[in-house]
Amino acid sequence: MKYGQNRFIIGFLAIPLLLYFVFVILPFGSSMLIAFTRWRGVSPDITFTGLSNLNKLLGDDLFWAALTHNFEVLVPLVLITLCMALFFGALFARGLRGQGFFRVTFFFPQVLSAAVVAVLFGYVYHPTIGILSSLLGALGFKSLAAFPWLGDTGTVLPAVIFVAIWQAVGFYMVLFIASMQSIPTEYYEAAKLDGANEWAIFWRITLPLMRDTLRTAIVFLMIGAMDMFVYISILTNETGGPGRAAEVLSSYLYGEAFRRQNFGYATMLAVVLMIIVLALSMIGLRAGSQESLEY
Amino acid sequence: MKKISRRDFLRTSILAGGAAALAACAPAVATATSAPAATATTAAAVATATKAATAVSAATATTAVSAATATAAAPAANLGFTIAPGAENPFKLATTNVDGVFFAGGYGDDYIKNAASMMEKAYPGMKVGVQSGQRIGDILRPRFVGGNPPDVIDNSGAGNLDMAALVADGQVADLADLMKAPSLDTPGKTVAQSLIAGSQDDQLYNGKQLAINFVFTGYGICYSKAMFAKNSWKYPATWEEMITFCDQLKKDGKIAPWTHQAKYPYYIQNMVLFPLIYSAGGNDLLVKIDNLEPNVWKDPAVLRAVENYYMLYDKGWLLEGTAGLDHTGSQAEFYKGKAAFIPCGGWLENEMKTILPADFETTMAICPPFKDGKGDPKAAQTGGGEPFIVPTKAKNVKHGMEYLRFLMSKAEAKYFAENVLSISAVQGGLEGAKASTFMKAQVEMANTAAGSVIIQHIGTWYTAMWTEMEVQTTNLLTGKIKPPEFCDALQKAADKTAKDPDIKKYKRDK
Repeated sequence: MKYGQNRFIIGFLAIPLLLYFVFVILPFGSSMLIAFTRWRGVSPDITFTGLSNLNKLLGDDLFWAALTHNFEVLVPLVLITLCMALFFGALFARGLRGQGFFRVTFFFPQVLSAAVVAVLFGYVYHPTIGILSSLLGALGFKSLAAFPWLGDTGTVLPAVIFVAIWQAVGFYMVLFIASMQSIPTEYYEAAKLDGANEWAIFWRITLPLMRDTLRTAIVFLMIGAMDMFVYISILTNETGGPGRAAEVLSSYLYGEAFRRQNFGYATMLAVVLMIIVLALSMIGLRAGSQESLEY
Repeated sequence: MKKISRRDFLRTSILAGGAAALAACAPAVATATSAPAATATTAAAVATATKAATAVSAATATTAVSAATATAAAPAANLGFTIAPGAENPFKLATTNVDGVFFAGGYGDDYIKNAASMMEKAYPGMKVGVQSGQRIGDILRPRFVGGNPPDVIDNSGAGNLDMAALVADGQVADLADLMKAPSLDTPGKTVAQSLIAGSQDDQLYNGKQLAINFVFTGYGICYSKAMFAKNSWKYPATWEEMITFCDQLKKDGKIAPWTHQAKYPYYIQNMVLFPLIYSAGGNDLLVKIDNLEPNVWKDPAVLRAVENYYMLYDKGWLLEGTAGLDHTGSQAEFYKGKAAFIPCGGWLENEMKTILPADFETTMAICPPFKDGKGDPKAAQTGGGEPFIVPTKAKNVKHGMEYLRFLMSKAEAKYFAENVLSISAVQGGLEGAKASTFMKAQVEMANTAAGSVIIQHIGTWYTAMWTEMEVQTTNLLTGKIKPPEFCDALQKAADKTAKDPDIKKYKRDK
């Protein structure tokens, strides 16, 4: 009996595991090796160079600039997305009239692929035919009537961050609504009997009871901020923006690998990026970890 | 078809297997032509000739014939083009399937297929596979890594393979044999001699021709001839006149003097900055820049050029919003008549053909030189586009080169001019073909320049430095930095490139 059961389980798992090994584990492992080589990606010849890629990386201004941009994305992306998602979540979890419509509408951007969103926003930000510039021009802001939002070193990164936030808010709003609605109403009733106002209820009851969901959201958003590849590469035509003002780690490593054919160095960048993401996730998960709540 | 005697056939076959020069002589060609009729085994002349040759040699024990080679000996009348005497099969190719991967961008891929079918006609039995697409680096990378690259490649467009990386890895075959081979249909000339002077110089790597540019293109400043005529404007002959002219346009406020492909700053960088450097400091200065000489970017002549380059931004000549435009965006503004000048190459009209106004009459001129410039005031930026390469590890290196010989023919040039409205790098390619004002202007630029070519190799030799230069161009032309900072940044980039042991270095003398 037992034997047959094992065979049954193995039968189901063998193919997925094999695929996982070939397409995930193996590339992971080979990346770890390629990161320590000089490889141009156009021949099977690979030279091991020891720690030279790591040394180069530590002294690479472009790497540090890209990493800085990642963190410049991280802070507003996490804070603004969370605040807005919480605000709309609280608003649409209360049984307002028409909230179903708003929930769906706000979730809409999430349904579109990030690439599509980026292409569309490329038009929004277009200096001569873009809706943003035309709108500002029509409102009388003469100097902004043909402003190159994605062509100016000062505005390109905020413009990209806005797109990312615009797309993310709806998803986290739905996540938070689900979490809010799973909080038993007894707590709210008790608090109201005690005379707590809405504000106090939100801060003292809703938010603490959502801690697990919030923590997950923060970790997701931090990982998202470390990525940003789709938005950056499409909105800046794979150039990392004017004067590299929107170059993040993922776009930099893509350029190193696929445009300048430095696969060895690019893989080292990828490995370092992975370590940073792992570290951030661990910090995020540890920071809010207490005993999990049970209602 | 006329009958052929067994002796005639034997002689043809021996010649075919032996010396190509002999095989190419007229009677041999004529007889080989009728070979299929005589042997009636297969319709493929070459295959038959080879097979028959082997059979005959076995019968007569003539070992010289057994070499598996055959001549490109098909009837001239059926080809639709002529092959110059002595130019039939210089590489003595065996019949096989040729495998090519090509970029199909602004020029499409019909011209690539046309050359392939020409080759197939000349070598009956030969199949030339054409795989074309965009972002060909993604198609080619696994093939190079797997060690089975195609026989011939058009390595251009966004997402192509970095030429410097390929060269550094020894992946690109030296095309010297091709350049020395007789031109397909320019009698008495080698391939090298049949090409427009200056069209191949930017593909030299330490003096070796590693790629061949199919397209001849002028690079320069484009404007509307009709618009200039209507307003009785004259294209500025010197940079000083350019300044006066642009200031006047700016003052009138009807049209912006300039726009450019700001998201891809290499257009303006290549077609304005480098001509200005050349004019200010002469060719020696450009050579020094390519050779990464210390402090070359601090040269006063370079600074002068950069200061004048900076005027585009500083004097407000650029169309508002230019910084946010990509190539098609800015070119659309140009064709809408929003800006008088745009830097571009010979593909401009073809790329914008869907919105090309009928009476626009695009034309191209050199970037005006300084009045007191050191460089030749007639020098033009002419060169090539669509670099074709043959991988060293290709299965049929010589077949790849032979394809290029067909590509670089007058017949193909004529097809290209008439169907793609662009100019191939073959001399006289426009002969008997309808050509637009824009095409003629570019040939005129080359003729006036008479071999004085403004050229830079940073873009092909040192990709990372080129990227850095693009970044600094953006910074300069959006007012984030001033000319001296631009020069400092470029000097730093040059020094960094010179010091980096991972970057292969190149040199040129002139």
